[in-house]
Amino acid sequence: MTNTAPPPATAHPAPEAGAYAARAHEISKVYGHGDARVIALDSVTVGIPRGRFTAIMGPSGSGKSTLMHCMAGLDSVDSGEVLVGETELTRLKDKQLTRLRRDKIGFIFQAFNLVPTLTALENITLPMDIAGRKPDKAWLDKVIDTVGLRPRLKHRPSELSGGQQQRVACARALASRPEIIFADEPTGNLDSRSGAEVLGFLRDSVREMGQTIVMVTHDPSAAAYADQVVFLTDGRIVDTMANPTAERVLERMKGFEPEVSAR
Amino acid sequence: MMGKVTLRNLAAHKIRLVLTAIAVILGVAFVAGTLVFTDTMNKQFDDLFSRIGKGIAVDVRAKKVTDAPEDGSAAVPVPASVLERLKTVEGVKNPRGNVTGYAAVVGADGKIVGQGQQGPPQLGVNWVNGGSFELASGRAPQGPAEVAIDADSAKKGKLAVGRTVQVVTAGPPQRMTITGLIDTGNLMGATVTAFDTPTAQRLLLKPGFFTDIEMGTTGPSETELRDRVAKVLPAGYEAITGTELREQNKSDVASFLGFFRTLLLVFALISIFVGAFIIFNTFSMLVAQRTRELALLRAIGAARRQVTRAVIGEAVAVGVVGSTFGLAAGVGLASVLQAFFSTGSDSGLTITATPVIASYAVGILVTVVSAYFPARRAAKIPPVAAMRDDIALPQRSLRIRIALGSLITLIGSGLIGVGLTGTGDANPAIPTGIGALLVFIGVAMLAPVISVPVVKVLGLPAAKLMGAPGRLARQNALRNPRRTAATAAALMIGLALITTVSVLGSTMRASLDKQVDDQFGIDYAVEATGGAIGADVLQKIKRTPGVETASQLYEGDARIKGKEAWYVAGDAGAAAKGARLKMVAGSAALGPAGIMVDEGTAKKNGWTIGSSVPVQFADGRTEQLRLAGIYAKNELLGPRFVAQQAHLRHTVRPTADLIIIDAATTGPATRTALEETLRAHPNLKVTDQSSLKEDLRKEVDGFVTFLTILLAMSVIIAAVGVINTLALSVIERTREIGLLRAIGISRRQLRRMIRMESIVIALFGAGLGLAIGMAFGTALQNALADKGLAVLSFPVAQLAAYVAVGGVIGVLAALWPAWRAGRMDVLKAISTE
Repeated sequence: MTNTAPPPATAHPAPEAGAYAARAHEISKVYGHGDARVIALDSVTVGIPRGRFTAIMGPSGSGKSTLMHCMAGLDSVDSGEVLVGETELTRLKDKQLTRLRRDKIGFIFQAFNLVPTLTALENITLPMDIAGRKPDKAWLDKVIDTVGLRPRLKHRPSELSGGQQQRVACARALASRPEIIFADEPTGNLDSRSGAEVLGFLRDSVREMGQTIVMVTHDPSAAAYADQVVFLTDGRIVDTMANPTAERVLERMKGFEPEVSAR
Repeated sequence: MMGKVTLRNLAAHKIRLVLTAIAVILGVAFVAGTLVFTDTMNKQFDDLFSRIGKGIAVDVRAKKVTDAPEDGSAAVPVPASVLERLKTVEGVKNPRGNVTGYAAVVGADGKIVGQGQQGPPQLGVNWVNGGSFELASGRAPQGPAEVAIDADSAKKGKLAVGRTVQVVTAGPPQRMTITGLIDTGNLMGATVTAFDTPTAQRLLLKPGFFTDIEMGTTGPSETELRDRVAKVLPAGYEAITGTELREQNKSDVASFLGFFRTLLLVFALISIFVGAFIIFNTFSMLVAQRTRELALLRAIGAARRQVTRAVIGEAVAVGVVGSTFGLAAGVGLASVLQAFFSTGSDSGLTITATPVIASYAVGILVTVVSAYFPARRAAKIPPVAAMRDDIALPQRSLRIRIALGSLITLIGSGLIGVGLTGTGDANPAIPTGIGALLVFIGVAMLAPVISVPVVKVLGLPAAKLMGAPGRLARQNALRNPRRTAATAAALMIGLALITTVSVLGSTMRASLDKQVDDQFGIDYAVEATGGAIGADVLQKIKRTPGVETASQLYEGDARIKGKEAWYVAGDAGAAAKGARLKMVAGSAALGPAGIMVDEGTAKKNGWTIGSSVPVQFADGRTEQLRLAGIYAKNELLGPRFVAQQAHLRHTVRPTADLIIIDAATTGPATRTALEETLRAHPNLKVTDQSSLKEDLRKEVDGFVTFLTILLAMSVIIAAVGVINTLALSVIERTREIGLLRAIGISRRQLRRMIRMESIVIALFGAGLGLAIGMAFGTALQNALADKGLAVLSFPVAQLAAYVAVGGVIGVLAALWPAWRAGRMDVLKAISTE
């Protein structure tokens, strides 16, 4: 495996700008110095196609979370460039990055990602409130109905189940119609039934609303909901898979195991 | 093992502990500063009196009738013949007649050097070679036109040997030549003006008389010599040993300093009480934040007691560190005060064991007691909490809190009522103070319940105007009512007391204004700002154009039925007119041996018109005065008014305290003429109704300012508390803040959110304080309505300013926590456990 491997998330070696919601070009990220030096990302080039559900998979320490953080403007890269839409992230100051996150990006985290003092509805509209924008009422209603939260809108997060909380987080990410949604192990803290609900909902939002979603996961059955899977190992992209199933993903992952344990 | 946990925790949370320690440091510094400063003052006065009284074996003086400081000496000075007689007593060495009175010099700037109505005395003395003082330069004064002054005064007044200087005494103004400067050592701000003995007698006392006679011994013991001397003394005089004399001098100052110390300590304790709230709050939050960790300790086998002990251990450490720094800061504070008050150069701080012990005792005790309840709560964390996400500490229901808080508030209010209306001999300050303390605790307990609706309302403008950050701020202030309440309560206490003082001040001003309007019927009055009014002034005033008549009022000390009783004396007719006296019975025609008293005094003693009142005057003699009149309570004349002749019969050197003037025409012309007349007397000043009001107002303002400054410390500590709460909240909400930043809240919006929360909490505290302070002020006014506080008045502008101060404290307290929150790394914040 070399660094010159073609951008694997697409069939085309040089992706056209319009086709991608976000792109990374030869980005590298290194943590620590000397013996503690860890290469988290090793010259990764990847494009996230617009209107698709992309899963990033890899074993622990493969750099998949770092890749997501860098592409979402939460973390900086040491070299290379990241684009969200047509915006080059690496040149932005904190204030512009904040605005970009607010207006162009949606987030779904593993857990605890609601503001406990706000109701479900207030949490959903929070990014727009912060921006001082009025939510698009029709769209908001559609999102709320899609996630099935209508009867729970007045509840505080502590009064909701884990699955419901995560659905609120999904609704929040969708409500402002961001360019792209990043989901970091969104089902990591949920039981399989609630997890399936959330994943199904994410898939539907891609198919029915044309949303772009990137999801980091290490769960093959979660990855099976995606349109395509990008495999990461040791900070490098090692493979991609279109129309994945849980079995195929699991099979592919097993292939990495010896390599990982051999290190 | 648990000890290691305690130490690790201290190391891991340095900033939180520093903030907690600041509350301890400030409180302890106040205590230590007070103790060190008053100890130093005490020591210096001790040194002063030991130095001055050195070599005195026996002192002869008039027997004291009352404890008033001027009593006796002015009434019955010691005739020179006694001095001659003492020289014949065996064992007496160098008997020396002292003349002491008021004298001061006018400096180059035209003002009296070292003048102050209260404070250090301005002593006029006779120069005695080999006496208490030595000359620093020049020579001793001789004859009627020479004077020596202390070197400090010379420096302050820019005077030097050879200069002609105006000397002010309770007699005609003098111009004299300075012949020498006196080395007095540290006199604690007092000034000394010395004349030769005949001049001193003429100006300060009476020719041929001494204030007292002191002497050394050639061999016999002090007591032996005292007994020998006592045998040759005429009736009315006494001999005391030098030791007794020094003790008496010291005890006068010591009792004043004792009062001063108690006053300062009361305010120090208020600061510490406020600090206790902060410490309690901080430890509560630390325990809440460490729930999971403490539960883990419990799960792996730590006993409840060990958990409690670990938390208490942290408290002890904070107490020790806080006390140490507090003590150091207190010593620094004392040296600043010392530099401010002391004039002497031989000053150094006196640090005894007391302030050291007190600092550590107070600092550690307060910290541990405040941390005790959080520590207990820590021990109640169930081990299973380590395994759960939604960890909540067991909290007692608010219902118990409401009941208990209400009960304590009621008991406190009751005690205040008892204290204020109590007629017993017990010190009313004690039940009142404890009552106020209980009210504070009770209201603090109720505060979480009150906070919810109040904070909702206070936060409304922010939520409406500032959008999401404003709404979040409001929700954050509401999210933990106990924490909001405890933080606000700390601020409440300081502001409640400041408000009480302000309401009292405003009430005093309004009441005094009314009193002056009602009872000050004098066109003009002349009063002394130092010393007294000499006998020559009255005639000069009477000759001043525009003046119809003028008469003198005297103050005197006496005993009636064994009890000390001060009185005013003078021309009863003029005084009754000037004071707008309302006669209830009899008349103001006192004759040569009459007295009139106010209603209360008459009733208490069962006197009626014609009763015979036995008055023992300052000269020791008792005279039966006839009660000629009873008047309604009057602040200008006080409870007793004695016929002028009766007062003069018992006073050797009468000096007036006030001259009341009836003007033919009032207006600037007459006032200017009067001021012109008094130009030679810089210690006298003219007042009329409006300038009297102005003076009284200034006095009240001074009192209000002084107390407010003392209380400001507790407000500062409370502000530290707000910082602490916010900083800990920010840490606690790291993850949430990270989330907000991730979904696009800007740094500025985040800072604004934290600032708004801070302002809401601070305003809540200020509002509570204002409400309590106004209630306290009203209660005090009601209780003291017949003691001069007739008119309740709220200083609206001032109170509004305090609310604004509350808001500003909110803004300032949020600076650092908000900055910190803004700087948080988004990614780290999100992934924080």
